[in-house]
Amino acid sequence: MIPVSRLAKYAIAGGLGVFTLLWTAPVLWMGMLSLRTSSEFYKRPYGIPVPAHWDKFRTAWVEFGYQTYFRNSLIVSTMAVLLLIVAGSMAAYFFARYKFPLKEPLYLMIFAAIMLPPQVPILALFQMLVRYHLYNTLIGLILVYAASGLPVTLFLLRAFFAQIPREIEEAARIEGATDWRMYWQVMFPIARPAVVAVVIINLIEFWNEFLYAVVLINEQASRTLPLGIMFFMGDREQDVGMIATGLVITILPVFALYAVFSERITQSLIAGALGSS
Amino acid sequence: MPWGLAAVFLGPTVFLYLAFTVYPLLRTFYNSLFVLPTVNVQKFVGLENFRQIFRTDHVIWPAVQHSLTWSVCSSLLEIPLAFLLALGLYARVPGERIFRLAWFAPMLLSYVVVGPIWLWIYNYDWGPIDAALRVIGLGGWAQPWLGNLSTALPALIVVTTWMFVGFNMVVFLAALHSLPAEVIEAAYIDGAGWWRTVGSIMVPLVWPTAAALTVLCVIGKMKQFALVYVMTQGGPLWSTETVATYVIKRAFRWQTVDLGYPSAVATLWFLATLAVTLILVQLFQRRPQHEF
Repeated sequence: MIPVSRLAKYAIAGGLGVFTLLWTAPVLWMGMLSLRTSSEFYKRPYGIPVPAHWDKFRTAWVEFGYQTYFRNSLIVSTMAVLLLIVAGSMAAYFFARYKFPLKEPLYLMIFAAIMLPPQVPILALFQMLVRYHLYNTLIGLILVYAASGLPVTLFLLRAFFAQIPREIEEAARIEGATDWRMYWQVMFPIARPAVVAVVIINLIEFWNEFLYAVVLINEQASRTLPLGIMFFMGDREQDVGMIATGLVITILPVFALYAVFSERITQSLIAGALGSS
Repeated sequence: MPWGLAAVFLGPTVFLYLAFTVYPLLRTFYNSLFVLPTVNVQKFVGLENFRQIFRTDHVIWPAVQHSLTWSVCSSLLEIPLAFLLALGLYARVPGERIFRLAWFAPMLLSYVVVGPIWLWIYNYDWGPIDAALRVIGLGGWAQPWLGNLSTALPALIVVTTWMFVGFNMVVFLAALHSLPAEVIEAAYIDGAGWWRTVGSIMVPLVWPTAAALTVLCVIGKMKQFALVYVMTQGGPLWSTETVATYVIKRAFRWQTVDLGYPSAVATLWFLATLAVTLILVQLFQRRPQHEF
């Protein structure tokens, strides 16, 4: 720690405060727009939302299909995370604790997929999902998302399982627990901190995902929120106020989680990203 | 080796991996040798697609150039800026936590949310940038930022910088806090001064962190798709086209329907990404480590 005078500290804080105001202005502006009508907006683009049109959220939700998009996003991201946690955590545990032939090569191959640009497999994925009637279905998207989250999930959970002392399993084994029961009743609960991190990373990733969704989903009834926004913008480009309402609907769940679990989310995303570098 | 147990614990993951990662990847490589007008029809053309990429394609090379420009410019913008901000917070200024959380927040947004906001910010008629320029009497500089060939790509690079500076900053801050405080204090007490302490002690010490962040940043930008697709669709006149958007447009938004040609582009781009990653990892590992 270099000693910094009190005055310098306040000067730095002041500079950073101005910077922060600029940095957050786009999001604040969007928040205000979400409560103003487009005609108000075109009269005064930077006005404050008085009176606040809260009913715009109801309009977007009911009339412009955000209800459907929100439901689809919720189904896809939670189901994909659930599948990923069940499948991925078991595999991570197996990689951490058991010896088998070609273990490290197999692990490295799965992990290497983390640097795979998604636009390479997506062309054949499209072809494949069309052939197996999974194109335009939420199930298809869920499977694709779950597979895309495997590398980071295996990486973080394997590392966590590897540092749990073996005595815990030995004790459970003496009491006659099978591998299956020991995993779900003893090991999985211990791994909770790592599981929470993996859930956070993937939930946010899937909630925001666009490339797979835009290629693999075409029907209005199956659109997720990012697709809904894109099509709404295509139809009503000038309706800035209503677009902003849709954007706020999309980010509200993420920001609500961030407001409560900010440190956890920050740490998880960093662990996920750096683990993959 | 208990095979039944392996099937239960590894089976689902290996199935997902083989079916939704390995097979599509190999299938894309395979498809690059065909013309595929529909999902079920295919005609073998050998290396014709690759020949076309190098001989007749006028879009791919600008797209490659934009993707690489994006990678390089983003690394040069994001990482130094993030380091400066981290230094600011390292001095334990008041309000540190709020700054940190606010800067990190844009990373949580979908590109599809960020896109519209920045479309409005760059708007010529009422966007805040052009409005501010007119207010301070520089109205001559006001322009449709996303509509000009020369400013469209830089405008998009600014957006990703906005999104990811906070992430890089938090990583740097953690790295700074984990440095040996005695070394830094000793250097300062020995009269090294603020700037020399930062330049000769702190920068070399966080170099491995900067290297890891650079690799992440470059790989991330080489995949760049969603922001372009939402904001400019590659326009005006291909000036913001990236390899990723070109692949998807060629496959699904082109007059000629064909999965084969974009597969060939994607195959080459896969090899390019792999090469860049390996080179970067090599490059940064060779750096001498400073020992104290």
